[in-house]
Amino acid sequence: MATVNGYQGNTPVAAPAGTTPSKQTVPAARTVDTQSVLKRLQSELMALMMSGESGISAFPEGDNIFCWKGTIAGSKDTVFEGTEYKLSLSFPNDYPFKPPKVKFETSCFHPNVDVYGNICLDILQDKWSSAYDVRTILISIQSLLGEPNISSPLNTQAAQLWSNQEEYRKMVEKLYKPPSAA
Amino acid sequence: MVSDSINASIPSVPKDFGKKKRANRSAKLKQCKLDARREQWLSQGAVKSKGCREELMGPRGLPQQIHEEGRKDPLENLQMRRLGRRVGEDENENGSIHHDFDSDSPSNSPTGSSVLGGNDSGTNFTASISGSSTSGSSVGCCSGCITEEDEEGDDNCLDDWEAMADALAANDDDNKLENHNDDNNPCLELQSSLEHESIVQLDGNLGSYHENLTEDRSVPPRVTPGNSRAWRPDDALRPQSLPNLSKQHSFPNTDRHYGQGVLAWGCVSGVNVPSACPICTEDLDFTDASFRPCSCGFQVCLFCHKKMLELDGRCPNCRELYKNDPVEVEASVLGGSLTLKLARSCSMRS
Repeated sequence: MATVNGYQGNTPVAAPAGTTPSKQTVPAARTVDTQSVLKRLQSELMALMMSGESGISAFPEGDNIFCWKGTIAGSKDTVFEGTEYKLSLSFPNDYPFKPPKVKFETSCFHPNVDVYGNICLDILQDKWSSAYDVRTILISIQSLLGEPNISSPLNTQAAQLWSNQEEYRKMVEKLYKPPSAA
Repeated sequence: MVSDSINASIPSVPKDFGKKKRANRSAKLKQCKLDARREQWLSQGAVKSKGCREELMGPRGLPQQIHEEGRKDPLENLQMRRLGRRVGEDENENGSIHHDFDSDSPSNSPTGSSVLGGNDSGTNFTASISGSSTSGSSVGCCSGCITEEDEEGDDNCLDDWEAMADALAANDDDNKLENHNDDNNPCLELQSSLEHESIVQLDGNLGSYHENLTEDRSVPPRVTPGNSRAWRPDDALRPQSLPNLSKQHSFPNTDRHYGQGVLAWGCVSGVNVPSACPICTEDLDFTDASFRPCSCGFQVCLFCHKKMLELDGRCPNCRELYKNDPVEVEASVLGGSLTLKLARSCSMRS
């Protein structure tokens, strides 16, 4: 239980933007929430470890279960084949009602990933659903690698180069730094 | 009442088990003597007390009440029973050690001795027990009539089986320590006591236990007449309040190997384990399990549903707006989506 309190202290309290009318009920529910977030994350971790999903993995960083490190492997038959990317996932206190903050730790040359590793993916923003979990997030990002959304790029250079897959592949190889080196 | 004396006398047994680890021979003999007397007394008094208690509480109250007794100290009960059986075996196999016994006392002489007469093999003993219970079951009336009460008893049995499994596991050490005094093979000895206790425990109450004991003994007289001192199923003097013997035999017959039975039942009971809320992973209780907030069939617990109404009010699975209770649906029809949201947030606060 001590760790629970520790997590509460460590994790930034998400501003309840849409719930201002019922603000007075929020503080009372907060401690209960943290418990259920813990439970949910623990069960996700368990499920992820049991599933043995190939190409993706995730594990809490240190002993803080609200911060995970994940890896995804570039899918076969894409320009990202043979590469591996490290990501960080930071879960809010009201997860899974709010999405985790997911960033690339390894630099990734991709139309929807900026130089800081921020990802433009609808399910991580407005299309988030509490039914998603770490596994579906990582799978979505993995498929995003091979199927970028060119219409709203964060990396315009990558978006322009996407049409030329051979050149793109060369660029990926040139800019790729394995996660261990990053 | 006998039931009081049972509870009162039981605590002495586990203490004695502790002492036995120090191999206190004289203490053991003394205890054996005590237990033998107690068992004799119980088997005499139990039938009476059974009748009285059943009259007092009614057939339905009885299993529950006894069940609680079993909960209180299942281990001690088991130890007492086990010990009682072992006393019989000791007398049977190395009677020279336990001179204290009144060898004529029917309650002290186990089923096996009357059937097989001074056998010194655990295997034979086991066989005699199972044989007696089997023959008892063939004697034991019509087993086809399973009443509702029987099923209720079954439920109690399930709990008691688990308690017994725990108690047996805890007992195994003691049991092995014990066995150096007996010439018995530990496994066989254990098996025999399991075999016996499986019949005992299935009934889930002490009363039936005693009846089981008496019933066990009611079988050998068919082989060696003159040893009978308990009611037979067809005994004219047998009180009406005694439960139907078929009740007991409907069980051991189907689950003679109790270890497998426990596993199988564990699985059966596992079927009813409720699924968890996919959002918070908490188990769905009965209300949650019957709560279907969305036409897509995606189930969430009430707590998470309330949470989602506070946020975007959409089903996490299909993203459709949750339809609320009829009042709010009316509001949405009248005033559109904006009114719907207001109505919803109002309902949240109230």
